[in-house]
This record gives sequence, structure tokens and C-alpha cells, in this order.
Amino acid sequence: MSEPSGDYAALEVVDLHKSFGEVEVIRGVSLSAHKGDVISILGASGSGKSTFLRCINLLEIPTAGDVFVAGEQIRMKTSKTGRYEPEDIHQVERLRARLGMVFQSFNLWSHMTVIENVIEAPVHVLKIPKAEAIEQAEALLQKVGILERKDYYPAQLSGGQMQRVAIARGLAMNPEVMLFDEPTSALDPELVGEVLKVMRDLADEGRTMLVVTHEMGFARDVSSEVVFLHEGKVEEQGQPQQMFNNPNSDRFRQFLSRTMQ
Amino acid sequence: MDLILEYQGQLLSGTWVTIKLALLSLVIAVLFGLIGAGAKLSRNIVAQKIAGGYTSIVRGVPDLVLILLVFFGGQELANQIGILTGLWDYAEISQFAAGVGTIGVVFGGYMTETFRGAILSIPKGQIEAAVACGMSRPTIFRRVIWPQMVVYALPGFSNNWLVQIKSTALVSVIGLQDVVYNGFVAGRSTRQLFTFMFAVLMIYLVLTAISDSGLRWLDRKYSKGIVRSEDG
Repeated sequence: MSEPSGDYAALEVVDLHKSFGEVEVIRGVSLSAHKGDVISILGASGSGKSTFLRCINLLEIPTAGDVFVAGEQIRMKTSKTGRYEPEDIHQVERLRARLGMVFQSFNLWSHMTVIENVIEAPVHVLKIPKAEAIEQAEALLQKVGILERKDYYPAQLSGGQMQRVAIARGLAMNPEVMLFDEPTSALDPELVGEVLKVMRDLADEGRTMLVVTHEMGFARDVSSEVVFLHEGKVEEQGQPQQMFNNPNSDRFRQFLSRTMQ
Repeated sequence: MDLILEYQGQLLSGTWVTIKLALLSLVIAVLFGLIGAGAKLSRNIVAQKIAGGYTSIVRGVPDLVLILLVFFGGQELANQIGILTGLWDYAEISQFAAGVGTIGVVFGGYMTETFRGAILSIPKGQIEAAVACGMSRPTIFRRVIWPQMVVYALPGFSNNWLVQIKSTALVSVIGLQDVVYNGFVAGRSTRQLFTFMFAVLMIYLVLTAISDSGLRWLDRKYSKGIVRSEDG
């Protein structure tokens, strides 16, 4: 049942739940992303959208639910103490490598240069020969427009530049899906554009992306699907044009009126 | 000066003992420090408690007391065990082993705190990023934690190490012939204590100066890209 079978989604999440102590933050969210989908996940702060994203690659261990990456199920079990946990950490590591992640606070490794950051996981996780990884990394850095800074350390870069490096680092694993966790929220307003442009280019070239964001323009114009979370549940879901022009739920209407002013 | 040349053999052999003692106990201290820091940061409550007890005890008791306790008390204990089990008649703990072991274990307590603080200084997000890339725990330690931990730990480590070199002088009380012991014996027998103690002082200064430049080299090697709030 964990083997890929025929026609499968790049990413499939089924009835995911997550509690912190007594508080249930995610209350049964399902989602599937097919190749080339760009799904924006919207929601007020506290709606659980970041937690949901972090459950997909098990940065947070969900309390229930299933995740399939390219048709392969992440095998979970219930431990003796009743905790829901991965059955095989090696499988989790292998599948994590197929999901690129971009964080709000970039999280570049500060002791490595830009190029070292990008080749790190390909060389040490995928075991790609270093020369090949460098070649690939340079092409990616070119794509995100920061090749000329390849020998800089993260501390010498602006936020927008760091985030573009982080995107290149994610792409270097050639992932099934790129997960973006509020990639522009920590940036100065004038730096948001350069990062959004890179993300838009990725969408145009058919990358499968899951984007937790507050950027309504991006959600409306770039994504193929929008998911609106409210208190840990999918409140509304659909095509961006339809949702933004004709929101079905009152909550999403309220959310739009608050954020679009 | 002639006198010192006459006794240079003793002084040099004593210095060699001091160096061996310091380096070997450093290895033990680093090992205990890494294990201790790992235990304190682990989610296992038993490991946390054991490591907590360890650092409280070794940091709260004078090194001299522990050295005497291990050497004489340990001797006694080993003999009692021998008698009880009938496995051996008489066991002797070597002065060198007692010195290395005690100083190593004591400074392991200080290293635990230094390493723990250094690991906590690494932004958590960087470790998360490594996890998200599919790195295994050993890879994360080797590629992300260790190189940064070294930088953050270096100021505290340097401090511990200098104190540790000096603490090796305590082993002369259990009769180990380190540089202090040999210098003292030579000074007494020639009635030139000042001359010999001054020579010993200079030897310590040379040792600490050498280690200082070694530590600077380490700092330069590892601190690339890492911005410290206070540049040390």
C-alpha cells in the first residue's frame, strides 16, 4: 500500500490532524497537488496553515492522517505510549529529500557560502558527485539571479537575496513539490518583489508548489488553486478567480476585506 | 642558570608529564563534554538528570578534593572489591591514570556547559532546514552542528583549557612527577626554590602561549561566515 501505483498525485494529504497538547490546531485537512499545481494556502494567523505545511514533511509529527509523496505513503505507526510516529525514519528522510522547503526566516547555513549551501544536500544526501552538483547549483543560482554572489556568506546578503538562495537550495534536490512557508513575510517590503518574481517563474515552468502566504496578489494571479484555512479546517477551496471574485463563505469574504484594504 | 641546566633533565621530563597529562585529560574532557551536552539537550529525562547531577557535582567540588578522593579512595575501593570478589589481591591505581581521569572528568563538566551553550547558539531554523533536506541525524551533526558549535564553543573552550593546563599542577600532591613536582624537588635540594619555581612559571607561560596560538588558528579556520555579537 505504500508503493506508488499508476497515476498518482505529486503530493496527497489525507485527513491530517495535529494537536499541541490539548489544542487541536489542524482538524482534518486533505489536499492533493498534481504535477504543475500551484496551491496557495491562505488563512489568518493561528489558522494552522504553517503547521499544516510543516506536517507534510514531518517537521511536526501529525497526530493523525496520511501523507503520500509521489504515490508513496509515509508509513506511520502508533507507539506503545500511544504516540503517532513514523515507522521508519529512513523512509521519512528519503521522502523529505523529495520535498523542497523554503522557510520564512531563510535558514541558510551560516558557515557555508551561497554555493556550498546549494550543493550541501545534493552532495551529502543524494550523493551526487561534487563537480556535477556545482554545475547544477550554478545554473540554479543563475536562474534566481544571484550567481555573482556565489562565494558570499549568508550574513553578507540581503533578505531577498538569502531567500532566493534558499529557493535555489530547495530546487537543487529536484523535488516533486516545493513547500513555501511564508517566504516573503520576513522581508522588507522593497525586497518582496524579487522573491515573488522567482516564485512566479517557477510556477510558469510547471513546478509543483504549495505556498503558505499572505501575498494576495500572488495567490490570485499565480496559483492554480487556493485553499483557505480557518481554525484548522478547510473553509473554502477552489480556483483563485472564482474565489476572489465570488467568495462562498462569509469567513473568506471577511478575510479578503481585511487583507485587501 | 647553570643550576637549571644541571637539572634540565628533570624539568623537561616533568614538562613532558604535564603535557601528556593535559592532552590526555583534554581528550577525556571533550568526550565527557560532548556526551554530557548531548544528554542535557536530549529529550530523555533520565539522561538529562544524570548529566545534571554530573555537572553539579564536578563543578561544585574542588579539583584537589576529587583527585585525593579518586587516588586514595579509589585505591581503597579497588582493594575492597578485590577482597570481596576474590578476583585480585592488591590493585594499584597509577598516579598518572588517577590524574588524567580525575582532571578529564572534572573538566568534562565544564565542557558540557560550554558545548551545551554552543549548540543552543546555533539557530534552530538551520537544523530544521537540514532535517527538511532529508539529512540523517549523524549528517546534521557533522555538517551543520559541529562546524558551528566549534566556533561558538571556542571562547569558553579556550578558557577551560587554560585552567585545565594549570590544574594539572594539582597532581603533584599524589606524587606524580610533573613539572611542578620536579621543579619543587630540584629547588629544595639545591635551596634555590625561587630559581626553579620561576623556571616552572616560564614553562607554563610557554605552554599556554603555544595553546593560545593554536586556538587562534582554530578560530580562524572555523569562524568563516559566522557573525558573533561580540567578536572574540
